[in-house]
Amino acid sequence: MQLSNWRVVVTLILLVLAVMAFWNTFKLWTLSPEDKAAMLEKDPGSLTTLEQKAIRLGLDLQGGIHVVLRVKLEELNEAEKEDAVERAIHIIRNRIDGLGVTEPQIQKQGNDRIIVDLPGFTDASRAEQLIGQTALLEFKMIESAENANLIISRIDSVIAAYEKAKADETEETAASADTLAVTIEDIDTSTIKASDILAELMGDSLVDTAGLFDFDETLSLSENDRPLSSRLDPILFNNRTGISWPGFAVNKDQRALIDRWLNLPETKKQIPIDVQFAWSTRSQITNQREVYYLYVLKRKVQFLGKFLEGIAPSRDNFGGPMVQFRLSGDASARFAQLTGANIDKPMAILLDDKVESAPMIQSKIRGSGQITMGSSATFENARDLSIVLKAGALPAPVEIIEKNVVGATLGADSIKKGFFSSLIGLALVFIYIGVYYRLSGLIANVGLVFNIFFLLAFMAGLGATLTMPGIAGIILTIGISIDANILIFERIREELRTGKTVRASIDAGYNRAFIAIFDSHVTTLITAGALFLLGSGPIKGFAVTLFVGVSISLYTAYVITKQIFEVRKSYKTLSI
Amino acid sequence: MFRIIGDTNIDFIGVRKVAFGISAVLVLTGFLGLFMIWTGQANLGIDFAGGVMVTGHFDEPVAIDQLRSALHSEFPDAQITELKGFEEPNAFILKTKRPETESEGQLRLNRMDELIRESFGDNTFTHDSEHIIGPAVGESLRKDAQWAVFWSLIGIVSYIGIRFDFRSGIAATIATFHDVLAVVGIVYIFGIEFDLLIVTALLTLAGYSLTDTVVVFDRIRENLKKFRAKGEFASTVNTSINEVLSRTINTSLTVLLVVGTLYILGGEVLKNFALALILGVIIGTYSSIFVASPVVVEWEARKPKRFK
Repeated sequence: MQLSNWRVVVTLILLVLAVMAFWNTFKLWTLSPEDKAAMLEKDPGSLTTLEQKAIRLGLDLQGGIHVVLRVKLEELNEAEKEDAVERAIHIIRNRIDGLGVTEPQIQKQGNDRIIVDLPGFTDASRAEQLIGQTALLEFKMIESAENANLIISRIDSVIAAYEKAKADETEETAASADTLAVTIEDIDTSTIKASDILAELMGDSLVDTAGLFDFDETLSLSENDRPLSSRLDPILFNNRTGISWPGFAVNKDQRALIDRWLNLPETKKQIPIDVQFAWSTRSQITNQREVYYLYVLKRKVQFLGKFLEGIAPSRDNFGGPMVQFRLSGDASARFAQLTGANIDKPMAILLDDKVESAPMIQSKIRGSGQITMGSSATFENARDLSIVLKAGALPAPVEIIEKNVVGATLGADSIKKGFFSSLIGLALVFIYIGVYYRLSGLIANVGLVFNIFFLLAFMAGLGATLTMPGIAGIILTIGISIDANILIFERIREELRTGKTVRASIDAGYNRAFIAIFDSHVTTLITAGALFLLGSGPIKGFAVTLFVGVSISLYTAYVITKQIFEVRKSYKTLSI
Repeated sequence: MFRIIGDTNIDFIGVRKVAFGISAVLVLTGFLGLFMIWTGQANLGIDFAGGVMVTGHFDEPVAIDQLRSALHSEFPDAQITELKGFEEPNAFILKTKRPETESEGQLRLNRMDELIRESFGDNTFTHDSEHIIGPAVGESLRKDAQWAVFWSLIGIVSYIGIRFDFRSGIAATIATFHDVLAVVGIVYIFGIEFDLLIVTALLTLAGYSLTDTVVVFDRIRENLKKFRAKGEFASTVNTSINEVLSRTINTSLTVLLVVGTLYILGGEVLKNFALALILGVIIGTYSSIFVASPVVVEWEARKPKRFK
């Protein structure tokens, strides 16, 4: 009985340690959503501390964001390349600090990569927007209506010709399939075409049904003639001066088409070098239609966002979100001069080449101003814009090359399914073992409960992360732990069958089964170790739970359940 | 005492020729699967092949064929699965694999979104998860997995070699390879995707199969000491297998209870993982009885060592 004393003592000590290690996790898991909200209200720090001390859940279980960004260094000159990645990391960190994520991690990888981890932050598109945008804020003037209309009408004819050529091509390919008829066909089509053009000019819609333009057969003639301008609705108008400006509403579903047209090499030739087309950041609802705005701007940058100070989100008189800023010194003078010279003209405010808004300048602005954001923007948009403006623009654009984003619902779903199925599986094992080995089975089940509890406590104590493969590791641990007990029990049964006493059978059972259990556990530990050292991410999570679980299984089988069997040695018969 | 199996004396060793035949087929399928993985013709998951995977749900019901045709023009090889049993209805998993450049992933993701928007308009597709893996990452992960398998096998062979003898070490390794290959083959034939979780399952079942083999070997080792003077090697092995049979079956059943539950209730993500484990448990049990020990018997018959 000397031996068994240390077993009790050590187990009790371990139990106390485990309870301590697991305590915070237990507290966190049993918190109701209301309690959590209350905690956040009173002292947000306390919840964060609790979360840090509890078992950390992996991205796949609690949701979160992992992205690898590549800084496009090729767009910079040698001098700028120098510390571009470090500066980008600094700026991204500042932006993320504005989000309030518990434990964000931002690291450099290789020479042009940045890894960003935001565990628990599940608004992926918002985070991506914040991390990924260059956030270059520029103020530009809008082109005059005359110039813009001239450019647009030139583009109109280029596109009309382009679409027509495309339609012809399709027709010709169809025609050339029949080699014999080529010549005749050629003559035929050209005649038709000629008559069509004539008909178009005269506005005869009957002949038009030949459908030469494949982009939209239902359009009226003028729309085929002016493919771009017919899709633009002028919206930028100064009521005071009666002058209109080239800002247009475009139906949402037409945006992709127009974008394609504007990016054709033929079209680009028609746009002077100092002029650019730019879309609005967000779509708006006007006259029950969802539209984007398309502006024709003067390319020259008049003013830059980096001069803005005291940036803060705010609301205008009508409750619309906006971003306020202050200016001082030279910047203030420059802005006053700029606005003073352009009163009654609209000025476009662009973020990463997209127009946030294009307000009319009503008076000379000095000292402070605001960026309005259009009627469809939310206050959160304004807050995010403030965050990126405050943190500054990235030294170079970044692109996402790797991403692992899990939403809150999917994470919660996985954890529910993982835990639920583990619990059901565990219950089935309990019943099976209980029925098969009777009282001894119950003892094995007690050992199993200890095993799982110690495993979770150990993970909490280590600060390890529980992932979906980790849950799989726990499930495997259950199997291994039960196997140890089965080995022992089967051995004891064998010994009992040979007619040995209860005491002798238990001793022999434990001693003989030990070698098999030890060897099989060690081989599993070797596998787990190799996985831990060489595996990455999710595999590591699996390896950790498996390694810890198997080690603990060895302990529970040979210390905890054995202790109970020590007591049972004095029994006359054994329920096994 | 409640027992599924009483004392048995089944001649497992006697049917080893039949077993070797079955195993040869399993192993050959495994090699075929391995070859297909190696040459990239097997159904590799995006973790290894690189690619884009989006899980998301529509506001309104959408037929899977509609979604397929929406994406078909630009992503003819996109894999689309309906995600059933998820909290959000109308949920789908979209996958496209093998991007050529690193920046292609995000572009593909955006383009898929545009195509869906063009086809479904106001019926918005909200993303629940997004995964982008570049081609280089997939490559390095594949290497990591290979090394992990390699070193764990080296470790195990050495350990068993020390604890038992060299022959047992080799026999256990053969049995383990047999199991892993058999599952690889079946997974390949079923067209199940080889992803990181499947590799985890393969390593798990390698560990499991080893445990089984070690338990049998342990009993053989013990019985050989006991029966050193009398008896014949093959029959000692056979007795040993019979003696541990009830443990083998019992353990397999309990593990099957757990992974079976995982298969039924664990959701889409864990389904294939659980299936590979179920296969592994069954084949692992089979191999510890019909492969590992018979290999040692064959070896002993050709080059007697223990009973001179």
